[in-house]
Amino acid sequence: MEGHLKIETRVEDGIITQAQVAGLLFRGLEKALIGYDARVAQQVTQRVCGVCPYSHAEAAALALEDAMGIRPNTNGQLLRNLITGAYLVHDSLLHFYQLSALDFIDIEAVLAYKGTDPVLGTVRQWVREELGSSRIFPGAPFLPRYRNDDQMQGDADSLLLVRNYFSNFTLLAELQKMVAIFGGKAPHPVAIEAGGVTTRPTLGMLAQYRTLLRRAEAFVLGPYREDIFSVCRAFPHYFQEGRGYGNLLSFPFMPEADGDNHLFTGGALLNGEHQPLDLGAISEDHTYAFYRQESGAALPPLGTKRLTPLNWQEFQREEQQKGGKYSWSRAPRYHGEVMEVGAAARIVNSYHQGGNQVLRELVGHTNRELGITLADYNSVMGRHLSRYLSAALIIGRLKEQVEMVEDGVLGFEEREVPRNARGVGITEASRGALGHWLETDEAGLIKNYELVVPSTWNFGPKDAEGKPGAVEKMLLGTRISNPEQPLEAARIARSADPCIACSVH
Amino acid sequence: MIPFSRREFLKKIYRVVVAAGAAPLLSFDELLAAESGERPRQRPNLVWLQGASCSGCSISLLNIEQITVLDLLTQFSRLLYHPNLAQATGDQVGELLSALADGDEPYILVLEGGIPAAMPHACMLDHQPLGKWVSRLAAGASACLAAGTCAVSGGVAAMPGTLTGVISLAEHLAKEGIKTPLINLPACPMKPEHLVYTLLHFMRHQNLPETDGRRRPSRFFSYTIHQRCPRYAFFQEQNFARHIWEDGCLLELGCQGPVTYNDCPSTGYNGNSNYCLRAGHPCIGCASELFPRPVIYHLYDDPRVREGLLQGETITFNRKAQGDGE
Repeated sequence: MEGHLKIETRVEDGIITQAQVAGLLFRGLEKALIGYDARVAQQVTQRVCGVCPYSHAEAAALALEDAMGIRPNTNGQLLRNLITGAYLVHDSLLHFYQLSALDFIDIEAVLAYKGTDPVLGTVRQWVREELGSSRIFPGAPFLPRYRNDDQMQGDADSLLLVRNYFSNFTLLAELQKMVAIFGGKAPHPVAIEAGGVTTRPTLGMLAQYRTLLRRAEAFVLGPYREDIFSVCRAFPHYFQEGRGYGNLLSFPFMPEADGDNHLFTGGALLNGEHQPLDLGAISEDHTYAFYRQESGAALPPLGTKRLTPLNWQEFQREEQQKGGKYSWSRAPRYHGEVMEVGAAARIVNSYHQGGNQVLRELVGHTNRELGITLADYNSVMGRHLSRYLSAALIIGRLKEQVEMVEDGVLGFEEREVPRNARGVGITEASRGALGHWLETDEAGLIKNYELVVPSTWNFGPKDAEGKPGAVEKMLLGTRISNPEQPLEAARIARSADPCIACSVH
Repeated sequence: MIPFSRREFLKKIYRVVVAAGAAPLLSFDELLAAESGERPRQRPNLVWLQGASCSGCSISLLNIEQITVLDLLTQFSRLLYHPNLAQATGDQVGELLSALADGDEPYILVLEGGIPAAMPHACMLDHQPLGKWVSRLAAGASACLAAGTCAVSGGVAAMPGTLTGVISLAEHLAKEGIKTPLINLPACPMKPEHLVYTLLHFMRHQNLPETDGRRRPSRFFSYTIHQRCPRYAFFQEQNFARHIWEDGCLLELGCQGPVTYNDCPSTGYNGNSNYCLRAGHPCIGCASELFPRPVIYHLYDDPRVREGLLQGETITFNRKAQGDGE
C-alpha cells in the first residue's frame, strides 16, 4: 500500500489475530544532516515528505527559531499560517478523495449513470471503453482493486463522489497555488525560514489568495462536507471499526498573529485522562526496527547521533526469523504508551482543552447530526470526519487572517545561526503531531537532528514490551469477509493516512 | 459520448504545449494532423514506480493546469500503475508489474526517487528490492523517464551523510547494461509541464524530445536560473543584495542560480504562480546535481563563510563575488 507500506495479517475464523505494519523505505535523512548548515534542515526535512512538506518546513523553522530565541513578526506568523493552513486543507481533500474514497464506492457503478453531467459522462464513456477493450489492465489505475459487497452502489451519493473525485483535482491544484503565492512553490515551499516568511506580500497576492480561498471554502463546506456525511451515513458501522488504544496526542497548530492561542491546542489523552503536553515524555524504541541495538531500546529525541541500519544479510535474517525485526520505522512512545496522532487526536484534544468555542460548536453540531459521540472519533469514520472538521475550521481561520496581513510589509527577520544551541519545533502535519529537535555545534552547523513524525506514531512497530503499534492495534479483532481481498484492513490502514516516506525518513 | 469535440480536446493539449514553451516544435496544426493521420492516436501506457522518494513529484504532476487530470488519465495516457493513485493493493501490485514486465504491451517507465544501491533492502516493493523491479521494467520499456532530482541525480536521498548509496536511474541503467532511452526531468519537485510535454512529444513523434548532454529536454534546461534571472541586471551592475528585503543580485545570500539549469524564471511553479526568486528567496538549486548543498541560504556577513568553515562551490563563488564587488 502507498508505495512503501506493507501490512501482514493473520486471519483466523474471519478475524485478524495478528498484524504487522512495516515501513519499507529507509533514507536516513535526519542523521545525514549532521555537519550541514542549520538552515539547510528546512529544505532537506521538507523533502522527507512531498505530501506534507510545509509541516516539516515549519517545524524546522520553529526549532531554529527556538534556538535563536525569536518569533516571527505579525506578518511572518500570518503568512506562515496562510501557507500551512492551505496545505493542510489540500492534504485533507487529497486523502479523502484520491486516497480513500474509492475504497467505499464502486467506480463501475458509473456505467448505470443516465444523466448529462459532462464529467460523469466522460468517466462513463471511458469505463465502458476500457472494460469492453482487450487492453491489458482495463480501467487502470482504478482497477484492479479489492472488491467487497459492503460498498456504495450506483446511487446518487456514490455518483456524486465519483464526480467530486475528479472535480477535486482542480481544487488540489488551486490549494497548492495558494501555498505557492507566499511559499514560492508547492510541493516544497522555500519561503518558510527561521525568522518568518521571505515573501513580501502585495495587494495582488492577497487578492489572488482570497479568491482561491473562497473557492476552496465553497468546495469544503459544500461537496466535501456532503460526501463525508454521506459516507458516514452509508457506513455507520465504520464508527466502530478500526478502534485503537484511544490514547491521543496532538501538538498546537495555527496560532493567532502573536504566535499564541492556537486554533488547535496540543495535549494528550492518556488512559482516558486529558493532560497538558509533556515533550519530555517522548521516546523512540527500535527493538523491532531494522537498526543495530547499540544503546537502550528507547531513546529520547537527540538521544543518539547514530542509527546503524542492518546490512542485507542481517535484514534477511530478521525478516525470516519469527519475532524478528520487521520495519524501518521506529516506535515512538509517550510515557511508554502507544499514541494515535492525526486529525481525530487534533479535534478531540482541542475539544477537551476547551479553548476554542467555534470548534466546540462545530463538533457538537456534527455529533448531533450524525448521532455520534466524541468516543466514536476513535474509528475509521471518526478519522475521516475529523479531517473534514479540521479543514472547515482552518478555512475559517484563514479567512480572518488573510484580512489581517499588512501588504508591503516583510514578515521576515534575519538572525545568525546560533552556536552550541538546542531547539525544538512542534506543529501539526496533515497526519498529526510532528516534532523536530535540533542541536548545533560551535560553528552553527548541525550537531544532531531528530524528527518524530506522525506516521511513525501511527504506523510504527511493536516495542520492547511487545505492545503493538497504533495501526496494528486498530487492525486486531477486525472481521475480514474475504481474506483474499481484505478491504476492511485497507480501509483501516488508509483511515490513519499512511506515509512511509515520513514515517521512516 | 465524450462531451467535447476532438478539436477542443486537442486545443487543450495545445495549450499545455504552449505553456511548456514548445510551440515552435509542435504546432496546433501538427497535432490536428496527427489526429487525422493514418496512425491511430496512441495513448502511452505509463508505469510509475517510487524509489527513495517523497511522492512530491506525483503531487506536482496533479498540479498540471492546462489540461485536467481527468483528461490526463482517460484521454492521453493510460496510467497502468501508480503507487498513490492506483487502487491495486497487496499482491495485486506484484502480479500487475510482473505481467507488464513479462508481456508485450508497450509502456513508458517513470521512476520517482533514487535507487539505494548500497542497501537494496532500504527500498522494497512486493518482497523484492526496488532495483530489481526497475531493471525488469526498464528493460522492456519503450522509454524511461527519471521524474525529479532524486531519480536524476540522487537528490536529498543521496546527500553526503546518507548510508544507502542511492544512485540515479541513469547510473542504474548503465550498471545493468540496459539501453532503453532515458529522459531526465530534474527539479524538486519535477515540474508537471516537463513530463506532460515529454509525453506529448512521444505521442506525436514516437520518440523523445531533443536533449542536452545530461539527457534533459533542451527546451527547458538550456539556460541557468542565473542567465534568465529577473535580477540579472543587478548582477551586471555588481549590485548585490545583503538582505532578503533588498534589491540586488542574491549571490551573496547563497543563491544557486549560476549552477542550476531550469526554466523557472519563464514558467515558474504552480501554473507560474510563483517560484523561489519571486518569493524573495535565493534559488536553492533544486534541479542541480549538487542539490542539496551543505549550505544553501545564509547571511551575507555570515562570519563562518569568511572563516572558511562552510566549504563548497557556492561559498567560493560568493567570496569571489564579494571580492569583485568590493
